This record gives sequence, C-alpha cells and structure tokens, in this order.
Amino acid sequence: MKRKLLCALLCAAMTATMLAGCGDKKDDNAADTNQEASNDNSASDESASSDNNATDESEEAGDSESSSSEGGNKLTVWCWDPAFNMYAMETAGEIYKKDHADFELEVIETPWDDVQSKLTTAATSGSFETLPDIILMQDNAFQKNVISYPEAFVDLTGAVDYSKFGEAKTAYSVIDGKNYGVPFDNGAVIAAYRTDILEQAGMKIDDFTDITWDEYLEKGKTVLEKTGKPLLSCQAGESDVIMMMLQSCGSSLFDDEGKPAMVDNAALKKVMETYAALKEAGVLVEVNDWDQYISTLTTETVAGTINGCWIMASIQTAEDQSGKWGITNMPKLVDVENATNYSNNGGSSWAVTSNCKNVDLAKDFLASTFAGSVELYETILPKSGALATYLPAGDSDVYGEPSEFYGGDAVFSKITEFAGKIPSNNTGVYYYEARDAVATAMQNVVGGGNIDDALKEAQSTIEFNMEQ
Amino acid sequence: MTKTKRANALMYVVLIIVSLISVFPLYWMLISATNKSIDVSRGTMLPGTAFFDNLKALFAAQPVQTAMFNSFKYAIILTICALIICSLAGYGFEIYHDKGKDTVMSILLLAMMVPFVATLVPLFRMFSAAKLLNTTIAFILPTISTPFLIMMFRQSARSFPHDIIEAARIDGLNEVQIFFRMFIPTMRSTYAAAMTITFMNAWNNYLWPKVMMTEDGTITMPMLVANLTEGYVTDYGVLMLAVLICSLPTVIIFFLLQKSFAEGITGAVK
Amino acid sequence: MSQTKEAKKRKMSLEKRHNLTGWIFLTPATLMIAAMSFWPMIQAFILSLQTGTANKLKFDGFSNYSRMFKDTVFMQSLGNTFLYLIIQVPIMLILALILASMLNNKNLRCKGLFRTAIFLPCATSLVSYAIIFRSLFGVDGFINSVLIKFGILNTGYNFLGHATSAKIVIIIALIWRWTGYNMVFYLSGLQNIEYSVYEAAKIDGASPMQTFFKITVPLLKPTILLTAIMSTNGTLQLFDESLNLTRGGPSNATITMSHYIYNQSFKYVPKFGYAAAMSFLIFILVAILAFVQMKVGDKRD
Repeated sequence: MKRKLLCALLCAAMTATMLAGCGDKKDDNAADTNQEASNDNSASDESASSDNNATDESEEAGDSESSSSEGGNKLTVWCWDPAFNMYAMETAGEIYKKDHADFELEVIETPWDDVQSKLTTAATSGSFETLPDIILMQDNAFQKNVISYPEAFVDLTGAVDYSKFGEAKTAYSVIDGKNYGVPFDNGAVIAAYRTDILEQAGMKIDDFTDITWDEYLEKGKTVLEKTGKPLLSCQAGESDVIMMMLQSCGSSLFDDEGKPAMVDNAALKKVMETYAALKEAGVLVEVNDWDQYISTLTTETVAGTINGCWIMASIQTAEDQSGKWGITNMPKLVDVENATNYSNNGGSSWAVTSNCKNVDLAKDFLASTFAGSVELYETILPKSGALATYLPAGDSDVYGEPSEFYGGDAVFSKITEFAGKIPSNNTGVYYYEARDAVATAMQNVVGGGNIDDALKEAQSTIEFNMEQ
Repeated sequence: MTKTKRANALMYVVLIIVSLISVFPLYWMLISATNKSIDVSRGTMLPGTAFFDNLKALFAAQPVQTAMFNSFKYAIILTICALIICSLAGYGFEIYHDKGKDTVMSILLLAMMVPFVATLVPLFRMFSAAKLLNTTIAFILPTISTPFLIMMFRQSARSFPHDIIEAARIDGLNEVQIFFRMFIPTMRSTYAAAMTITFMNAWNNYLWPKVMMTEDGTITMPMLVANLTEGYVTDYGVLMLAVLICSLPTVIIFFLLQKSFAEGITGAVK
Repeated sequence: MSQTKEAKKRKMSLEKRHNLTGWIFLTPATLMIAAMSFWPMIQAFILSLQTGTANKLKFDGFSNYSRMFKDTVFMQSLGNTFLYLIIQVPIMLILALILASMLNNKNLRCKGLFRTAIFLPCATSLVSYAIIFRSLFGVDGFINSVLIKFGILNTGYNFLGHATSAKIVIIIALIWRWTGYNMVFYLSGLQNIEYSVYEAAKIDGASPMQTFFKITVPLLKPTILLTAIMSTNGTLQLFDESLNLTRGGPSNATITMSHYIYNQSFKYVPKFGYAAAMSFLIFILVAILAFVQMKVGDKRD
C-alpha cells in the first residue's frame, strides 16, 4: 500500500514537473518573444510609453534603442512588390533622407491580400497598434476600407496638393469630401497590339487608335480571318474588361447615392452586349486564370490586349518580341453618353493609419516625395516602370524617352496623357461584391442567358449583400 | 503460382501509374525551376539552364534563410510539444476510458469543426491583448493541442494490449513510466505518422501567421511563396524554385520517417 | 471474508487512482483546446448573433441564421460542398485503403519510393498544384491534347469553364492531393495488425479480396473512423481548392462554404456577424455527421 502511494505521489510529481517543464519552456519563450514584441511595440507606441516610462523600466530600456521613441523619425510601411512599389518607397526614403538625416524608413513586404486581412483583423479587434504607419492600398478597396473602418485612417486633406494628380485617380481615395490617400501608381488603360501581326492582316496601329468597339469588332474579325489570332484575351469570371469599358464612359455599377444601378443601366447593357459580341465572333477569347492570360500574350496566341498600363511589365518579359508591340488608346463604346477612349484598371494609393504617432512626419514625407518630387518618379521609372499619376512628372524628359520595345514610341508620356483624360466614376463601398456579381452575370450571358435577367439577378445579389 | 505472379505484376503496374501521376507536378516544378519565366509560361517540359539565375534572383529578392529558419523553428517546436501533449491525452482517453472521458472526447472533437475563419478574429484579439503577436508562442499555441491528433492517438491506443500495462504494473512501473517506457516505443509507427502530419501542417500553416505576423523577421516559407505571387509581374521560374524549396522539407521528412510508420517493429510488443 | 473485502477496496482505490491518472493525462491538452478553440468559439457565437458591417454591429437574435437560407450564393455553396463530400470522400478513402494494403505487402520492392511518391501531392505547395491543374485542364492543356489525339474530342473543351466539368476537376484534384495523406494513417494503422494474421489467411486459401474485406477493413476500423471524420470535416471546410483552382467559378458553380465565408470577411465589406453564423452552420453540419459516424464506427469490442 505504501509503495503504491509512493508510486502515485511520484506519478503526480512527475506529471507536475513535466507540465511545469513544458510551462517553463513556454514562459521562456514568452519572455523572449515578449521582449521582442515590446521592443517593437514601443517602436510604434512611443507616445504611450514615453508618458508611462516611469511605470515600466524594462520597456524604457528597450525604447532607448529604438529610434522612434522621442523624435518619432521612423516610418513603417507595408507594400508588396520588391521590383515596383517597394522599390519606389525605398527610393522615396532615400530622397527624403537627403534633407532629413535622421529619418528612418522600414518597408515590410506584405502581399495585398495580407495587407487586407491584417487590416480587417486588426480593425475588427480594435488592435490598431499592430498596423504600420503607412500602407499601400488598392484603389478599388479604398472606399470599402475607409467607410468600414474610418477610425483606422488619417484624413490627409490639405496635406498634399491634389490638383497635381488626375481627378479620376484622386477620386478613389476621397470619402465624404475628405482625402485619405496619396495617389501612387497608374492604372490608365492601354491597348497594346502586336504590330507585326496587324501588318499580316494589312493594318497598322493607327487603324486602332481612337476607334469604337464596333470598328474594333470588324477589324478583329479581319485579323482573326487572316492570321487566326484573336485580338483580345481575358480571364473568365473576372470583370476587368467590363469594368474598364464601363468606366470609359464614366459609368459605374452604382448610382451617385451608392445604390446598385445595374438594371436599366444603358451603358452596362451596351458593355455586356459588346463583350458578348466579341466573344461570339471569337475576337475575344476567355482563359481560366491569370497565368494563362499572361501566356496568351507571351506565346503569341493573341494579337493584343487591353489592360491597365502595368501590364507592360509582363509583356516585356518576352524579350524576343521587342519592337513588335505598339501602344494606343482603347476603343470607345457606341451610342453611349460621355463615351471616351480612356479608362482605368488597378492602381494603388498610400494611406496613413491611425496608428501613426507622427502624422506630421508621414504627411510631410508623402508630400515631399510622392506628391512633390519629380526626381523620385524620374528615378524609379526606368528601373521599375512605375508610372506616375503625379502629372508634373509627365513633362519630364525621362518620360519622353522613346521605348525600343514599343517600336520607338514615347509610351510613358503617352500614357500620362491618357491618365489625364480618364473619366472618374464611383467605385462604391460594395465594389468587390458588385464586380463578382457582374462577372457571374457575364458568364451566364456568354452561356446563352438573357442580359436583362442576368443583370436583375446580379442586382438582387448586391441588394441582398447591402441589406446588412 | 501464375495467378499470384499475374496479380503481382498488376500491383506493380497500378503502383507505378499512381506514382507517376503523383510525381508529375513535382517533376513539372523541378523543370520550371530550371527555366526562365517566359519559357515556363510558354509551357516547356524540358530542363532549362536558368536554375542558378533563378536561385540568385530568389535569394536576392527574398529572405530565404530567415524564412527557412523560422519555418523550421516553428514547425519543430510545435511538432514536439503537440506530440507530447496530444499523445498523453489520447493515451489517457483510451487506456483509462470511462463514460466521462468518452464524453469529454466527443466535446473536444467539436473544437475542430468550426472553420478557422470564424475563430480568427477572437484569437487575434486574445494574442494582441497578451502582446504576443509576432512570436513563436503565438504561432504554436492555437494548434498545439488538436482534437485530431488526440483522436489519432486514442484510436491507435485501442490496439495497445492491456496485458502489457498489467504486466508493467506488476513489475512496479508507475503510470507515467508505463506511458514513456512502454507506450511510446510500442507506438513508434503512430508517432512517426503523427510527426509527419503535424510537421507538414505546421510547415504549411498560412492563414494564421499571415494575419498575426506583421514584422519583417517573422516571415515563413509559405508567406515567402505568397510574396512571389503578388505584384504585377510573376517570375514563374523563381516562383517554382521557391515552391520546390518550400516543399522539400516535408518530402524529406516523410521519406525518412516512412519506414518507421509503415514497417513498424512487429513483435517488439511481446 | 474480510480479505476479499480488503481486496475489493484496494481494487476500488486502484481503479480510482487510475481514473484520476487518466484525467491528469488529458488535462493539458483539454485546457489548451478550451482556451484556443472553445473560448474563441463562444465569442464567435456571440458575434453570430449580431448583424451589421465592420464594427457597426448590433444584437439581432438569430436573424443571421435565417438570412443565410435566403442567400442564394451561400445555398449554392452548400450544395457544392455536399456534392464534393458525397462523391470525393468515399472514393478517396477506398483508394487510400487499397493503396495502403498494397504497400503493406512485405515482398514488395521499392516500397519507400512508392510511398513517398504517393504522399508527394499533399506535401507539394498549393500554389504550384493549382497552376499545374489549371494548365493541365486548360483549353489547350495536356488533357485536351490527349483527348483530341484519341479522337474523343474534336476541339479543346474548357473544363474549368463549365459547371459540371469544373466540379469534376475539383473532385479529381482533391482525390489526387489527399489520398496519400489518408494512406499514411492506414499504413501506420496496419502496423498494429500482426502480419502473421495475413500469413495464416494465405495458408487458409483466402483470396486477396477476402483478406482485404475480412481482415484489413475490420481491424482498421478505428483508423477508418478517424479518417472519415477528418475528411468530412476537411471537405465541409474546403477552401483552398475553390479559391485557387477555380476561384469559385464559373458563376459560383464550384464555390465552397468556407470560400464564401472568407469573401464575406475579407474580400467584401466585412460582415463578421454573418460570417460567424455561416461558420456555425458548418459546425453543426460537421458535428451531426461526426456524431453519426461515431455512433456507427466507435464501438469497443
């Protein structure tokens, strides 16, 4: 009996030590990582800790090392493309450092999807302190995020001279008349064509400049007949092409009050008819994903494409096609009010979060770089192809340089010129919902459905989503 | 005899076909990793010469070493802790089973049935309040004890002979000793399988770290792969090389452990 | 008399002590699950009773729960998910079981290679396998080339562009990816069956079929139950394949519940209350199915 008792005691003791051992390990870890965490927290939390430095000495010790505590001269940024916007941000940091020697910039690579989920999670949990000072935001998501979480962003009205940007571009980040973003990259739509293939069909790029979609369709049929190549490819289930067509006449899926306006939207109906006609004629081919879309360009499956100007970077990966591409504006809709040959797809802007403890620094930094430095845009253009939405940059000599890849055309100043002519429209808070609903409607129409019915269904989907 | 021979041949044919289908994507990944992006998107199936260029580009663009180190650190710590805690519980649930414990087990099972998207925000709030974001502990804790792993050990403990326990008790071993000295060695195949699966899940864990890791030094391999697919231009050669590097550790661990869990030491139980 | 009483008492206390040891053994794991799963679950449940977007939430009883039955996209995702469940899980588990018992054959050569090869798909990162599957099933992809070569098709068929074929592609992809994973459990479960049982069966003249159904399947029952619950759970929470392979298309024909919940949380205007309510529907569905499976399969002999 005694032996058994001893055994039981031993057993309990062992379990206890084991658990304690496990616990210890965790605690050690926690202590370690806690230190890290508090170091980093203090980086962005400096005002709080400098107020309380008497209460927490250990944190103070951590603080003294991190630069941001007193001067607050450090900014943290989330953005996602090392060759593009990260490079641009880092260059901006270099430029700003020339005049502000103690300025520090930390750029953390965070894919857009992650920026969005981190932002949503942090804002929903009320843990704003996990956000950086500045984030890069997709223009399409701007309205949604600012209206959903107004407390997460800083009003930048008056911080920069917005008249130096295209109106359509600035409009993405204006909510209730206030500016929340500093525009960055350009999503002006270009139509890019393989000039050599057009030539086989007896046409030139000028034949595709300032045309309508009807003309595009006819010419596309000729190209298809003579060369066997469609003019355009796009992703099935994504509504990029539809949204580009729609914005080209200043129309949107929502009315001015933000109510869904798909049923009885003449422009939208025309867009869908045009799309269906292009698809029907074989001038437009649908592929299933982005990779296949890119490969239709690089493998010469299609004779051209229409997309935001950032698509040029992907086109240019096919070095052997240098000199065979030309760039012009997109076709415009027929019989639609305010139809133009210009539109926008994609693009992003910088936003300052409410976790930023030195808002003045952030504002000054953005104002004197992205919204005030032609030098910045001149530096980043050649290496990254990051086209400015900052209009003064368009006059720069660098932008006027001819591009060999595009047959010696001065494409950059051309695109900057396009950018100034884009009609602005209302993306709306429920942009992504509407986009998906329209894509679904389009797939139904392509599959033989009736446009009006498809749009009715799309509208009711959105209305259902907006009920809450 | 000819019948068994024919059956054997058929078995080899089936296995070879299944293996080829399974291996094909890895082959494609390998080929792609040696090609330039443009050739990958043009659908090449032949080895290229760009492997070292891709390697250089990958290491230049991304902190591969940091991500590797982090992923290994998180996955190893998590695997060890999870295996100890869960096998102990699984053993407890089965060997000492009674109505109460069976009920607790069923309740625990419920925990794996809620989609992670739903508990993500509450969890985030918890770790954020505890100032534990960006830490190893935050990576580990949510999946340190999983109903699945507990159940796996519980189910396999069912085949652990009770007379061994009785014999050990008579030999004077206490319950904890029985667990460590008898159960763990006997259940080597289960531990090996559990280790493979847990390591793999930890290694591929993406949604939680993606929300919770906000600092530069905390990147993991799946996050690194995700970094490469963002941006306006994807370099497919580099991407596939990264994916290949990201897949290798799990494959290697599987290859090393498969003998232990598939050719368990029969007879050692006696 | 007193002796037996004494013995009985000792036995009782011993049993009690073992019982207690059992509880101690399962305490750490249980506590962790309580803190890391049940606590957030309770909060998620409270959230599911609130309607509204972003942080503008208010309590509204069970209106989220009635709302989801009017949500056509969600209902479609529910149907899709169940279709995957009913078709894919049985095929995958049977396939895994057959492969595992083949690979358990002692006389087989190159076992390690075969095992690793079949396990490979689930170790391969999703990114690459999504790209590969999309290109395999593309209009000018490998599958179409083969079908055209054999004269089955005249022109390329857009597998991912049509509702039925897109669903089939997802099911094939799931089977391809997860069969090896389930095989691991069967292989390890098979080790607990004495090989001599098989040899005895062979001597008795049992055919491989008979051995499989009379020996392997009954003895692996605990493991089969485990994998069945796990796969049911995994399929009802299916997310990656829908997002990466087909992005839910065409026209939501392949979207899964978790994918839709993810959209409602992170892609669209965030509705965490509604998302939580939909998550709880999944929870209830899995719980019911798991309960049935436990009732059928979890009997100690």
